Amino acid sequence: MPISSIAFVRSSALFLLIGVAALLGIVATNLLLFERTQSYYDNVLLARDTRNMVASLLSRLQDMETGQRGYLLTGDEPYLAPYEEGKAEIEPLLQRLRERMDAYPEIQPTLSQVETLVTTKLAEMRDTVSLARDGRRADAMRLIETDQGKLLMDNLRQLLSDMQRAMEQRVSEEASAQQSSASLLRWTTIFGAVIIAAVVLGAIWMVLLYTRELGNARKQVEQLNIELEKRVKERTADLARANEEVQRFAYIVTHDLRAPLVNIMGFTAELETSLASLQAYVATVEGREDDPAFAEVKTAADADMPEALEFIRSSTRKMDGLINAILKLSREGRRQLKPELIELNAMLEQASANVQHQITEADGEVSLDIAVPTMISDRLSLEQVIGNLLDNAVKYRDAQRPLRISIVARPAIDNTIELEIADNGRGIAQQDHDRVFELFRRAGSQDQPGEGIGLAHVRTMVRNLGGDIALESEFGKGTSFKINLPRDLRAALGSRNS
Amino acid sequence: MSQDAKPVTIVMIEDDEGHARLIERNIRRAGVNNEIIPFVNGTDALKFLFGADGSGEVQSGQQLLILLDLNLPDMTGVDILQKVKSNQHTKRSPVVVLTTTDDSREIQRCYDLGANVYITKPVNYDSFAHAIRQLGLFFAVMQVPETD
Repeated sequence: MPISSIAFVRSSALFLLIGVAALLGIVATNLLLFERTQSYYDNVLLARDTRNMVASLLSRLQDMETGQRGYLLTGDEPYLAPYEEGKAEIEPLLQRLRERMDAYPEIQPTLSQVETLVTTKLAEMRDTVSLARDGRRADAMRLIETDQGKLLMDNLRQLLSDMQRAMEQRVSEEASAQQSSASLLRWTTIFGAVIIAAVVLGAIWMVLLYTRELGNARKQVEQLNIELEKRVKERTADLARANEEVQRFAYIVTHDLRAPLVNIMGFTAELETSLASLQAYVATVEGREDDPAFAEVKTAADADMPEALEFIRSSTRKMDGLINAILKLSREGRRQLKPELIELNAMLEQASANVQHQITEADGEVSLDIAVPTMISDRLSLEQVIGNLLDNAVKYRDAQRPLRISIVARPAIDNTIELEIADNGRGIAQQDHDRVFELFRRAGSQDQPGEGIGLAHVRTMVRNLGGDIALESEFGKGTSFKINLPRDLRAALGSRNS
Repeated sequence: MSQDAKPVTIVMIEDDEGHARLIERNIRRAGVNNEIIPFVNGTDALKFLFGADGSGEVQSGQQLLILLDLNLPDMTGVDILQKVKSNQHTKRSPVVVLTTTDDSREIQRCYDLGANVYITKPVNYDSFAHAIRQLGLFFAVMQVPETD
C-alpha cells in the first residue's frame, strides 16, 4: 500500500491528535477524581469527628451523672468536679453539633430530641445538686428515686447511640464511594494508557512503513537514474559517432574530390604550356593569311583555346575554394578545443581594432558594453567567430549611412553569456535568416566577394564551443547576431564527454 | 668517383596515373634524369623495396629516393613509410611524402616516422611545379656519388 506524503502527514497528525486527546482526558479525569476523593476523605473525617463528638457528649453526661450521684451519696464536694467540668462543656458541644446538622439532615430530629432531653437531664441534675447543697439530701434522694433521671439517661443513651450508628453508616458509605472513585480512576488511567500506547504503536508502525517506502522509492529513483545516465551516455556516444562519421565523410569526400582536381589543374597547366608553343609557332607563320584552315587554327590558338582554358581554370579555382571550405569546417569540428581564461574586454577591443581602419574608412565607430569580465573558452575559435562577424558587419554595411557597430556582452541564464554584435548595415531579408548559416549560401545582392562560408563556419565553431547563434535582422535597417556561450567551456565539454 | 657508386633511383608510389605523369613531367622539366620506377599500389612497391623475402636485402647498397603518396588503394602510405624507415637497408633512403592531405596531425606523424620532406599536392600548378623543382635540386645533390 503506497503512502503519499500528504496521507502520511495527515495520519501522523491524526495519531498525534488522538494521543493528545487521550492524555488530556486522563489528566482531566484524574484531577476530577482526585478532587472527589479529597471530598470523600473530608466527609469521612467529618463524620468520624461528629461521631466522636456524640460519644464525648454521652461520656460527659455520664461523667456528670456519676459526679452527681457520688456527691449525693457522700456529700463530698470533690465528687462534683466532673459535674462542674461537664456543665461547662455540654453547651459548646451541642452548639458544634447543631452547626453540623446541615451535612446530616437525617439526624436533625434526633439531635433536637437529644437537646430537649439534655436540658431536662441537666435541670434534674442541677435540682438534685442544689437540694443537696442546701442540705436537703433526703429530697434530692427522693427525686432520684423517682427514676426520672435514669429514664432520661437511658433515652439519651439510646438516641446518642442511634446518632453514632448513623455517623458510622455515613463513614462507611463515604469510604465505599471513595473506593469506587479510586477504582474508576484506575480504570480511566488504564484505558487512557491503552489508547496512548495504541497511538504510539500506530505511529511507529506508520513511520516504519513510510520509511521503508521512502527507502524503496529512493532505490527505484537511483535505479532509474543509473539507467537514465546509461541511456544518455549511449545516446551521446551514438551522436558523437555519427558526428565523427559525418566529419570523416566530409574529409574523405574532399580528399577524393581533390585528387582529380589536381589532375585537371595540372594538365590544364600542361595544355597552357603546349598552347604557348603553338601560339609562338602560329605567330611565326607568314604568308598563309588567305588559307581559311590556317585562319581557323589561328583563331583556335589565339582566342578559343585560351578562353576555354580560362573557364577551366576559374571553375577549378572555384571548386578548390569550395573543397577547402568543407575541409576547413570538417577540420574545425575535429580540432581539439583548449579552454582558457579569456579577458572579454581585451579580446573584443583587439577584435574591433583589427577592423579599425576599414571602419574608419566607412566613417563608422564601434561601441563596447562588456558586463562580463571573463569567461573560459577556446580563444582561437572565439576570435575567429568575432572576427568573422565584424568582417561581415564591415563588408555588408549600408553605404548611405555611417557604420555603427555595437558589441554587448551580458550574463544570461544557465551560467551562459550572451554576446551580441549588432550593426546598422543593409540587413538580411526575413526569408534568408536561416539560409545564411548554411554552407555556400549567401543573401542579398552579390556585390561582395565571398563563397558563403563565413557564417556556416561561425555557427560550426559556436556550436563546438557548446553554444548557439541566432540573428535578428530587418532588411535595410541592420543585423544583430546573438551568440549564447557557456561561461565555462570545461563544464560543457565535461558533460559532453562523460 | 667510386666505382661502386650507383645513380639514385627514384621510386614513385602513386596510384593516380595523372598525378604520376604530372610529377614525372615536372621532375624531368627540372632537369632530373634519374631512372623513375613507378608503382600504382603498395603491395607491388613493398615487393620491390624489400624483395620477395621481405628482408630489404635487395636494396643493400642501392641509392633510392622514394616519392610516396599516402592514399593508396591497398594500404596507407604511412605503413610503407614506417616499414622503409625501420628497415636497416632502406632507412637512409630519403622519403618525400606527396599527398593531398594537409592535416597538421598527419604531417606531424609523417615527420615523426622519418619522412624527409612533406609536400601537400597543391592544385595551384605553379607552386606545385616549384615544389617539384626544389625537389629536383635535392635530387641533383643526391646524384653526386659517395666517395668511399
